[in-house]
Amino acid sequence: MTADTPFTHIGQPLPRKEDRRFLTGKGRYLDDVTLPGALQVTFVRSPHAHARITGIDAAAARALPGVVGVFTGRDLAQWTAPLRLAPPIEGLHPVEMTTLPVDKVRFHGDPVAVVVARDRYTAEDAAELVEVEYDPLPCAADTKTALAPNAPLVDDTLPDNLVSHQSFSAGDPAARRAEADRVVEARFDLHRLTHVPMETRGCLADWDAGRAHLTMHIGTQVPHPMRGQLAARLGISETQVTVISPDIGGGFGQKIALYREELTVAALSRHLGRPVRWREDRLENLTSASHARETQCVTRAAVRADGRILGLELDLTEDFGAYCFYPANYMARVIAMILTGPYKISDYAFDVKVVLTNKCGNGPMRAPMAITSWVMDGTIDAVARELGLDPLQVRRINALRPEDLPFTMPTGEVLEDVTPLETLEAAVQAIDVPAFRARQAQARDEGRLLGLGLCTVVESTTYGSAFYKAAGIPGSGHEAAWVRIEPSGVVNASVGLMGSGQGYETPLAQAVAEGLGVTPGTVNVHMGHTDIAPYGMGSRGARGATAGGGTLYLCAQKAQAKVLAIAASMLNLNDAQGLRLHNGQVERRLEDAWQATGISLTDVARRAYLDPTALPEGIDPGLDVSLTYDPPAMTYSNATHACEVEIDPATGRIRIDRYVVAEDCGTVLNPLVVKGQQQGAVAMGLSGALLEQVVYDENGQNQSATLADYLVATACELPNIEILPLHTPNRKTPAGIKGMAEGGIMGSIGAIAGAVSDALAPLGVTAEKMPLSPQRLRALLRKAGNFTHGTTFSDPGTTTTTHDTTTHGTPGNSDGRTNRA
Amino acid sequence: MSAPVPISLVVNGETYDLVAPPRKLLSDVLREDLHLTGTHVGCEHGVCGACTILIDGQPSRACLTYAVQMEGHELTTIEAVAEGDWLSPLQQALHEEHGLQCGFCTAGIVMTFEAYLRDNPQPSEAEVRDVLSGNLCRCTGYQNIVTAILKAAQVMREGQGA
Repeated sequence: MTADTPFTHIGQPLPRKEDRRFLTGKGRYLDDVTLPGALQVTFVRSPHAHARITGIDAAAARALPGVVGVFTGRDLAQWTAPLRLAPPIEGLHPVEMTTLPVDKVRFHGDPVAVVVARDRYTAEDAAELVEVEYDPLPCAADTKTALAPNAPLVDDTLPDNLVSHQSFSAGDPAARRAEADRVVEARFDLHRLTHVPMETRGCLADWDAGRAHLTMHIGTQVPHPMRGQLAARLGISETQVTVISPDIGGGFGQKIALYREELTVAALSRHLGRPVRWREDRLENLTSASHARETQCVTRAAVRADGRILGLELDLTEDFGAYCFYPANYMARVIAMILTGPYKISDYAFDVKVVLTNKCGNGPMRAPMAITSWVMDGTIDAVARELGLDPLQVRRINALRPEDLPFTMPTGEVLEDVTPLETLEAAVQAIDVPAFRARQAQARDEGRLLGLGLCTVVESTTYGSAFYKAAGIPGSGHEAAWVRIEPSGVVNASVGLMGSGQGYETPLAQAVAEGLGVTPGTVNVHMGHTDIAPYGMGSRGARGATAGGGTLYLCAQKAQAKVLAIAASMLNLNDAQGLRLHNGQVERRLEDAWQATGISLTDVARRAYLDPTALPEGIDPGLDVSLTYDPPAMTYSNATHACEVEIDPATGRIRIDRYVVAEDCGTVLNPLVVKGQQQGAVAMGLSGALLEQVVYDENGQNQSATLADYLVATACELPNIEILPLHTPNRKTPAGIKGMAEGGIMGSIGAIAGAVSDALAPLGVTAEKMPLSPQRLRALLRKAGNFTHGTTFSDPGTTTTTHDTTTHGTPGNSDGRTNRA
Repeated sequence: MSAPVPISLVVNGETYDLVAPPRKLLSDVLREDLHLTGTHVGCEHGVCGACTILIDGQPSRACLTYAVQMEGHELTTIEAVAEGDWLSPLQQALHEEHGLQCGFCTAGIVMTFEAYLRDNPQPSEAEVRDVLSGNLCRCTGYQNIVTAILKAAQVMREGQGA
């Protein structure tokens, strides 16, 4: 924050309150919560990608000592209602799923039965003894197969596997194509990923038969929607369910939906009258929790010779997997809506297809719209390449300028208080692009491959109710809070969010402290308990700061107004004009200075609670204030990422030499926490772009079921990230907060891809597919002409050599995946 | 295989006598039988490092060890690192540098580097990153963890010299 900040506590880099318990092993995560007599479940999962269930024989499993029961989809169908998703969205098929499959499995890892036993070891032994007979069916392991005529139907109730299809056009893209000097086509293929929270899923369900009440301990980002889902699916009322979220070891979007396993555990607790718990193992988490991405995009940009984009068209296909825990267009829609982002484009069309396949179902993963900025800035880079222009100049000529704001994107989304050109110039200046180009040219002469990638991000952060309404998605973007000053003068507060490790407790206490006029240390923010917190929409997108912090800030201001009204009467003043609460003390403005009145918040609280007859007319006893707030339809943050890489041509290894992010996320509650989110998002984006990949073979068998196969980046693969903070407040939100924490994914995917393509430019190849693994890089290098070490690159187009790389024994040569590049 | 046997363990200087099946993992015994839940289980196949504890002072994976193997060894877990309100220099540096977010991997990282910094008081950033590569963190991108470890090393060196 700048020195002239209007805030006392907002913007202070306070270390986090939750650290001490995590550092000393005293955090309380799901598996640390115990209940006497709790039973353990293990799921029996399908070894087939697609098969009829023709019989389940659990006799041997039931006979094992310590086993309480084995249950199947037929049992669960008696105890629970199916999930039906049928939002009124054109082109989206309604879908329905039972709690466990009854007659057909749809992916490798689909749960077919559940074993309940006295402990996990026994449950897993018993699961091995459950004999399931399958009649295997042909499978659709990719979108091409799934969309082919007579393809196997993933969902038997649908006419085909194209579960969602939407088209849109604004302006006249065809006319722009006709008048363009060139139409540049570019391709982007973002592979399948999964969230990998360090803590897997799990839950502990406790049915109290006497009260007919379910207490569900579960790490969830959205406690109240989770409560509503549990009640509806179990056929009980929301008054009969309490959801309690303990500390969460990471979520990243994987802990939003009510999954089938969790509903099964809740139903079993009710059926058996015992606490029942489930702890997912890592194999289950990688194969059966939730996947994400696997999106292919093609853009066609109609451009003038100077690089100005006149019109843009997008074709998008997403491989959604086998089940819809969300409306199938949920993630793809946002990509298409905000694609044009930082650029001044008005003629735009999209065609978005979402396809069911025999894989684990997709869900939102940190930045559901992750591919967006790669597609847009990658299109810019393609334009620059085809026209022989400087990619930086093509960005500048298309960039939204301050005078263009507020800018209505072709999809109707309104951008204001964003600074994409400023972040671009800040990042470019930090990198010193001319100096880099000189180094790059020299390196090419030495046979080394250096590249620079730029990616500007406009990140949709906070989704208000107006957005959901316009999108036809049921739900709301509002948030609710209460602030309670207790009789002793300390402050309890609550909001409907639930953090999954970001560190909400400190920045949200700062928002309350600012709004109320106390120190953050006296504020305790309670989250994750549906009987304590007000009904809120939980944590998703990047709404924590704007929706959560904003609501608490406004609620605390409302509480301060009541405190000051009481203080005014204590001071024998007619009204609270000229009074403020500052660090827990009531102060009065006299001439140009704030002066102490000798009245503290504790004095006011004592009067409000213990001497209410002394309160002024019209003031109710107590200091208990609640408030709801609905943010604007959408808030946006923006950033530019710049990434320098060097590629080792012999091994295909990418070394990141420098990584810079210039980011404008408005007013920040706590810059320490924000910086941690920015670094973490870039890291997750790079890890996904470089290493991680969910691999299915052509039979739909998951080949990446351990952390030795699904590679999450370690400290050796990730760079230090330089952050250049900008703080342009949003004029429509409380305190000017915008939110952030997903844009880092968007920018890093685009920046690393741009850097690799820039490095490979003299070879005439482009990185169109991820992950940018050594194998893929080697394949690209081979495609460029059996290239080997020692070649120089100063003269594009003349780099083909006659050497055969196979003699060098590089990693790509023995890898069967290299032909995918 | 699954018949329980008596096991005697020395953990954080205390002796515990318990009965558990020989196949029960050390991580499960620490958490379920000894109620030392600070040791976390992230993958149960030895990759993520969340369950790292010290066995005779050396960082080891509790998820790849059977409790019954640990008779006669000294075990140290995250619960023994801080003393009352006093955080170790490494814990304090992780707090100050925001070297943790969700906290699930943190215990394993603390245990790994309590041992490493004891034996290597002046590591380079590259050495710290190399050792840290045995612990996965999904939240931070490691940058602040590395900063904190280097800071803790410096604080510990200055403390020794004082």
